[in-house]
Amino acid sequence: MNKFIIAIIIVIIGSILGALGSLFLKKGSKKLSFSIVSIMSNIDIIKGVILFSIATVIFIPALKMGPLSVLFPMTALTHVWVLFLSKKFLKEKMNSFKWIGIMLIILGVTLIGLGSG
Amino acid sequence: MATKLWALGLVAFCTILTTLAQVFYKFAAIKLSFNLASILFNYHFYIGVVLYIASFLILMIALKFGELSSLYPVFALSYVWVTLISGYLFNEAMNIEKWIGIGVIIIGITFIGFGSNRR
Repeated sequence: MNKFIIAIIIVIIGSILGALGSLFLKKGSKKLSFSIVSIMSNIDIIKGVILFSIATVIFIPALKMGPLSVLFPMTALTHVWVLFLSKKFLKEKMNSFKWIGIMLIILGVTLIGLGSG
Repeated sequence: MATKLWALGLVAFCTILTTLAQVFYKFAAIKLSFNLASILFNYHFYIGVVLYIASFLILMIALKFGELSSLYPVFALSYVWVTLISGYLFNEAMNIEKWIGIGVIIIGITFIGFGSNRR
């Protein structure tokens, strides 16, 4: 397996972990009150922070292992996962504005990736 | 659940803080040499950490008052800030693809703003 394929796999995994992490953060925010103890004993927040941190950390080396024109847009896949996860687990309502907006974001990130080589 | 308009603004502010944190981390990495004093007194690193923590706390407040599917896309602003900073601080070339990409991302985020149940 060459570096580029490994990079793609890492980025896709990272995008999923990031989406899951933000899902947990959202769940955890419901029980939030303004005390450090409340934050640090909130299991959802802890899970969210861990997943988010792992995603961020693995992105850094992965993005160096292949062309940004392909890898950048793949990082933007998190937004797609988040829409599906919010609909399924948070029962949030979807509409065409949200879907079109996400597609525009992915298009924009693809363009930036193309411009970054 | 309704999404408060200011919650969107808070997330936008978070993206600025995290981008700043990453800039400080980059400077911290540049100035790092492998001795204890250099690591302990690497104030760029500590500033980065503080910025990250501040951003996280603000994000938690924003999440409490908005839908994830409406708030999370605002994170895409990170791509905009990173592109601009790489272009103007770290001397990477800005080109038409990057500018159009930035514009399209902002339009996309605006669409999602329209699509959020706002109060």
